Amino acid sequence: MEQHLQDLYEVLSKVDGYVYPNEIELNWSILIVLYPYITGLVAGAFILASLERIFKVHILKPTYGIALLTAFSFMLVATMPLISHLGKPFRAYEIMITPHSSSAMAIFGFVYLWYLMVVLLLEIWFDYRRDMIIWAQETTGVKRFLYRVLSLWTTDISPKAVALDNRIGYIVTVIGIPSAFLLHGYVGFIFGSIKANPWWSTVLMPVIFLFSAIVSGIALVMLIYILLTKIRKLKIDMDCLDTIAKYLFYILIIDFVLEGLDQIHRIYEAEESFEVLHKLVFGKLFFTLFFMQGLFGTIVPLVTLGTFQFYKPNEKVRKFIYLAISALILIGVFFMRWNVVIGGQLFSKSFYGYTSFKTGMIGSEGYLMAAVWLIVPFIILSFLLWLLPPWKKKEEAETQVL
Amino acid sequence: MRPVKPKISRRDFFKAGTIIVGGITVASAFTPYDAVLIAAEKPKTGKWYGIGIDINKCIGCGKCASACKQENNVPKAPFYFRSWVEQYTIKNDGTIIVESPNGGIDGFKQSVPTNEIFKSFFVPKMCNHCAKSPCVQVCPVGATFETPEGIVLVDENYCIGCRYCVQACPYGCRYIHPEKGTADKCTLCIHRLVKGLQPACFEICPTEARIFGDLNDPASKVNYFLKNHTCMVIKPHLNTGSKLFYNALSSEVR
Amino acid sequence: MPQHLKRLVGVFAVFIILFLILHYLLTPSSFGELGHYRAKAIPENELKELHYAGSEQCSKCHEDIRKDKAIGFHAKLKCEVCHGPGLKHALYADQFKAGQLPDSLILYKPGERKDCSVCHQFNAARLKIQFDTINTSMIHQVNSIEHNPFDKKTKVEFKCIECHNPHQP
Repeated sequence: MEQHLQDLYEVLSKVDGYVYPNEIELNWSILIVLYPYITGLVAGAFILASLERIFKVHILKPTYGIALLTAFSFMLVATMPLISHLGKPFRAYEIMITPHSSSAMAIFGFVYLWYLMVVLLLEIWFDYRRDMIIWAQETTGVKRFLYRVLSLWTTDISPKAVALDNRIGYIVTVIGIPSAFLLHGYVGFIFGSIKANPWWSTVLMPVIFLFSAIVSGIALVMLIYILLTKIRKLKIDMDCLDTIAKYLFYILIIDFVLEGLDQIHRIYEAEESFEVLHKLVFGKLFFTLFFMQGLFGTIVPLVTLGTFQFYKPNEKVRKFIYLAISALILIGVFFMRWNVVIGGQLFSKSFYGYTSFKTGMIGSEGYLMAAVWLIVPFIILSFLLWLLPPWKKKEEAETQVL
Repeated sequence: MRPVKPKISRRDFFKAGTIIVGGITVASAFTPYDAVLIAAEKPKTGKWYGIGIDINKCIGCGKCASACKQENNVPKAPFYFRSWVEQYTIKNDGTIIVESPNGGIDGFKQSVPTNEIFKSFFVPKMCNHCAKSPCVQVCPVGATFETPEGIVLVDENYCIGCRYCVQACPYGCRYIHPEKGTADKCTLCIHRLVKGLQPACFEICPTEARIFGDLNDPASKVNYFLKNHTCMVIKPHLNTGSKLFYNALSSEVR
Repeated sequence: MPQHLKRLVGVFAVFIILFLILHYLLTPSSFGELGHYRAKAIPENELKELHYAGSEQCSKCHEDIRKDKAIGFHAKLKCEVCHGPGLKHALYADQFKAGQLPDSLILYKPGERKDCSVCHQFNAARLKIQFDTINTSMIHQVNSIEHNPFDKKTKVEFKCIECHNPHQP
């Protein structure tokens, strides 16, 4: 408490102009920057997986399993930043018991549960059920027990059952695409529907959030795929990687256009909030907006990937650049979330001044906490890749006679 | 790996999708969605509280802000206010300076020499107890609400402290209580109203700059105030249904 | 239905039933009666502790001061504006002899310059205070340094109340 008050007095001394007294303290801190980031990664990774399964882009097959498991790992962690940030975290269940239908945030409980249990879990289950049963027969001990439990002790892997699994998995993925849009779109709506805050209140917010989410998810899968093949000391499928980069490029263009449109519209209409936002963008947000999100997160990847459409350097160089680009995009999208969430609170709703952001390393809303929620999904992913390795899935031709 | 061609073709998928979406759209035209689902309607009978503040009478003593904190056990640190006073100074060159040192509790000092001042005044601020309150609209669990008499309250035993309502309030009236972890705001001293007393800030104001009363009662002070002054609300374009009416509100006030 | 689908549906059915049971158990009792909130929250807010008494309470014991005040400029000023919240004092002070009040029941007696400056120090924002016909007086503004300068030699500041009776200024 003391530290918190000390921080607030420090922020008070840095207040520029006038802010409403209650606005000195920033309400949504780094954890709320993290939550849309994580759900964005989930939605984006899922969309990449669905590209292969629904839209038949079979070149992407090597990344299908990785994308699904990545989405699942991050989804498991997605609630945690939210719960850590609540003033009364033990009352978090109330969102499921008495959700307020006029509140975008109330959808969270059900959309999250729906997406986790019905979409992701079911898709992974139907995709891996046959393999889990086969692997259970081939292993012993804990792993065998896990496989048995996860396959619900079923044993039927006849062609008919497997065909049914595939069919249902396909339907789940089809339902999953609008669900992914809903999962991340509602987060954008949470911000976009706040008429009190002109930095957030725009019709484009859900769409911008969605497309930057898809960009970040694709970049994440690309990064993990490159790193994973390196760790497993295998030859990477360059066609797959080039295709991922192509989709990344297309979606990045759309994302860039949407965000540009939002700003151009704001600059052109120059409403009441324009002056205070203008000073914000060129002042406190300058570095994170123009450099981190704009230059490094968007322009550099766009130009690089665009160049690759005409001129492709050799494989080794390309792979390295893809790695760098996906890292840059991931950082860039993080800063996009930062600029929206933190940026929207740095200026006063009186339009007369600015407050400043301060958080510490430790504490429930500190940098360390944020780092933990970013690292844990990778730990979960490693576990899942050990338990359900996509590359060990038996081809159907191996287990049945056609 | 997946030799089975799914029975649903892409065309069928889009056909089905269009029918479903189209059906929902048409159906929604018959029952229009009430966007502000909690738009509290002015009741025909019973009380409907409203507030009036006369900027021409406020002398910026800050006693209202001080009384509010003492009456309601608001934390003393200068980051948590249910009610505060702002000093506006418009200089001759057009610059607008707004100040609220500790919410005005310790009074104000004149910060600009008199000869440079074009216009200067005090604006007391508090919760507007909006009829179409955006803070009530966004609460995910139903922990903030408008009573049938028009007071917006927080249920501190149910609030989860998500801070969405604080973000949604255009007037900056809400804060998160540092010890309770829940949202907190002006309650129009409902605990005094039920005993027939005035809210603390209205009770204390030395110049009767603050008036409150029942908007449904034609003889109430607040109706008299509304009839005889040119009253405005802050940020009318946001359509919050604010029930805090200012007399002599100057265009610089946000 | 194939075996594995039956098992899956079973798992989901268990989960949904558990959820419905929890929903019933965890929904607060008065929720939804008046709107999407716990109706009990209204009486909970109504039962909070009061701290300000209102001037009628003060005159019950301090009628002499009230009479004093009623003929001066501070007639319409409530006692608690300057003296702070007085409910506890109003309720319990009569149980003690004069001069033996515990600290918690003693009200602040404003006497410092800053206590008067809060309203009376010159501030350009108070220049145009127009009252309606009910009260025709303006609030006096002084520049306290000019009006009541510090003693040049000792730098002692004289209090406003040395010349002005706060109840009858």
